[in-house]
Amino acid sequence: MLIRIIIDLLIAVGLVFACAGTIGILKMPDPFSRMQAATCISTLGMLGVAVGGVLYAAVIMHSASSAIKIAVIALMIMVTNPVGSHAIAKGAYSHGYRPEKKMETDDLGRDFDE
Amino acid sequence: MQKTKFPAVAATFIVCFVFWVLLDFSFKVEELIAGAVVSLLVALFSARFFIQEDAGWFFNPSHLFAMIGFWFFTFVGELIKANLNMARICFGGCKDINPGIVKVPTEMKSDYGLAALSNSITLTPGTITMEATEEDGQNYLYVHWINVQETDPEKAGEAIKGTLEKGLRRVWQ
Repeated sequence: MLIRIIIDLLIAVGLVFACAGTIGILKMPDPFSRMQAATCISTLGMLGVAVGGVLYAAVIMHSASSAIKIAVIALMIMVTNPVGSHAIAKGAYSHGYRPEKKMETDDLGRDFDE
Repeated sequence: MQKTKFPAVAATFIVCFVFWVLLDFSFKVEELIAGAVVSLLVALFSARFFIQEDAGWFFNPSHLFAMIGFWFFTFVGELIKANLNMARICFGGCKDINPGIVKVPTEMKSDYGLAALSNSITLTPGTITMEATEEDGQNYLYVHWINVQETDPEKAGEAIKGTLEKGLRRVWQ
């Protein structure tokens, strides 16, 4: 019974962070900041749900293969997500997109946009 | 383009085969043989792209345990801290931000070290690595930071990646 409460808590924590990320995506002023908020979803939002899922599969379903598959999916998301975020951010920047409100400091523009 | 070397093929084969076993998770002999053949083919073709440096690095237990300790303790701690901070900003109506791109110097030398450090920085909510350059033998990262507190490169670097870099330098130089 206790393990069931822990699983539900983990999934709830994951959903809270996913909710925070979604609010961030909707309300942030420029795409770079929006991607920062989206990282919340794919890190702790995903990890909370995945750890809950691993515990559920291992303890309640007694299925080691499902548990390991969920763990591998979580690992794969953690490995591929930063590569994608980096590529989107760099692509947006080198395409010429700049936030409307001036950034506090822009070293990349200073060094490459002569 | 470098040539395909035997240690690189062996290391790629082991990684591919472990993933096959984890995803398939059936220990029948014919499935294991099929996995081994496919892994060997993939390893032969892709080892030279996958591994450029010392292939036996991870099979040394001290590196492996340093890596596991980093990902499961140091990194998860940093991740939770940054996530709480970002959730506070988001639930507070996204007013409390001050975005900017800072250039920070890094001590990392090897390609793998740089890749691991910049991916860890990107995975932490609040910072995204935009570009990596080298000037006079010193590597620099350009990091988009949601809440710029320091514009001085050294101090900004310490605030962004101090703990992460210390943990990763125990694995890579």
